[in-house]
Amino acid sequence: MGAATGWSRDRFDPAENLVEFGNIDYICFECMSEVTMSAAQVNRLDNPSEAGYDPYLDKRLRPILRQCIEKKIKIITNQGWLDPSGAARKILEIAKELGIDKIKIVSIDGLSLIDSIQHEDLTFLENGRKASEFKGSIVSAEAYLGAKEIVQALQDGADVVITSRIADSSLYLGPLAFEFDWDFSDSNLIAKGITIGHLMECGAQVCGGYFADPGYKDVLGLSNLGHPICEVSEEKVIITKTDNTGGVVSEDTCKEQLLYEISDPSSYLCPDCIADFTGIKVRKESKDRVEISGFRGRERPPTLKVLVGVREGYITEEMILYAGPGAMNRAKLAEEILRERFKICKLKAQSIRMDYVGINSIHREATPDWLSQEPYEVILRISVRTNDIKEAQKLRYEVEPMAVNGPAGTGKWAPMGNRVRPIVGMFSTLICREAVPIVTQQFTL
Amino acid sequence: MKTVSLREISHCRAGEKIDSVNISVICYRESDYAIIEKQVTVEAVRKVFSPITQGAIMRYEVPNIGALNFVLDGILDGGRTRTCAFEESGKALSTLMYLVNITVPDDYPERSKV
Repeated sequence: MGAATGWSRDRFDPAENLVEFGNIDYICFECMSEVTMSAAQVNRLDNPSEAGYDPYLDKRLRPILRQCIEKKIKIITNQGWLDPSGAARKILEIAKELGIDKIKIVSIDGLSLIDSIQHEDLTFLENGRKASEFKGSIVSAEAYLGAKEIVQALQDGADVVITSRIADSSLYLGPLAFEFDWDFSDSNLIAKGITIGHLMECGAQVCGGYFADPGYKDVLGLSNLGHPICEVSEEKVIITKTDNTGGVVSEDTCKEQLLYEISDPSSYLCPDCIADFTGIKVRKESKDRVEISGFRGRERPPTLKVLVGVREGYITEEMILYAGPGAMNRAKLAEEILRERFKICKLKAQSIRMDYVGINSIHREATPDWLSQEPYEVILRISVRTNDIKEAQKLRYEVEPMAVNGPAGTGKWAPMGNRVRPIVGMFSTLICREAVPIVTQQFTL
Repeated sequence: MKTVSLREISHCRAGEKIDSVNISVICYRESDYAIIEKQVTVEAVRKVFSPITQGAIMRYEVPNIGALNFVLDGILDGGRTRTCAFEESGKALSTLMYLVNITVPDDYPERSKV
């Protein structure tokens, strides 16, 4: 099984490498992040004619679809986003254009739960408030689905399975549970699939991507990183990659990925089981081949997690540039001027933030000794968060005049266009499984 | 004994979930686990991260891979879509963990010198 992507805007070429050289049976595309669905929903409200599925669908699948059908490589992808059946119809169209005469595509849609979470008045885990308090502001609500519908789709002979929101690791559990006919009540087996899925779900991150730190962790071939392949049998699990790619699969890369985006490693909550990583063993078998063992898990939780997007006002940012002798002092003077101007224009903001890019903008207030630094160049970055769009627009009205009203040598951040964007805040809640309708459809040539 | 950065013994990766960040601390050599288990305490981590979070800091032990996992709550100004911060993902906070210092024997082979 190969992982073609680790997120929605990942590189395109690894998919072709996996299909051509990977000797794989399945290729999976994990193409969502937490904010994907709410951003797509907002985009659809603003541009009703645009598709609700991943706009990269064509660009990702067209180059490999014919070869996948010929080699009997099944495609599993969550690029369906808000409209898995629309995406399935699009894939059918691509297949026709490529001259493919036989294909079965199954779409799996967990639908929007905006009405259900308000009807059941569920509680947000982050702040303990009820969904009904946010009436009118909720733009998205979708459950993380499990792997069972993927298994069913593969039993029905699907060549391509396309889903809406699904737990990332379940995307990989599906093909494994199908191939090995795993019983979903056997928690250790399901945890095996989930743990493998977790190692695979971020693509290159287990192959030396997001890992290199020169002098400490050196990785070769980063411009041509391999994406992971897992070789799974009842006895053994190996994480590897194709030989003709860069990167590295090592015990260290596997360990970093095992703990990536994890809270309690003994309780990794998924729709299909609770996986326990505290028995996992990671052992190098040979170059770029790492064996993973010690899988165990417990019964799945009774509820599904729902991600909820809520409109919460606006955010905007501007940048002013300084360099050469006295750059830092001139940037600080610009900050003072702007803070005064915000009083004069009566800016009403939830939050105003000023950072010095190159000095303290990344680790923020935790940056050590930043005041003592005298950089050659520095950028003053200003960001404000407001309830009202008109208040957010004031930032630009104050920053642009600095070109002639600000300190000497004030440089300008060139790009024009609208930098005010709506905020969709994220919450999560738990819903009982029965309240999540799942619609499965088949499309064939 | 000498004082070195945590970076000389372990590597870190950060991930985010809404307003929380998790940062793993993974020993290059699993046999060094006892050093981080003893010295990389919640207090040591809080000392470095307290300017950006007053929220809960949880520490989880993963001795089977020679690692600790920290979860820091309330550290992203409400989360990546809400924050006014320039770095919205929290993923770059993994390297802030390297500001935690530890004490090792004088002959300990520092990673940068191996």
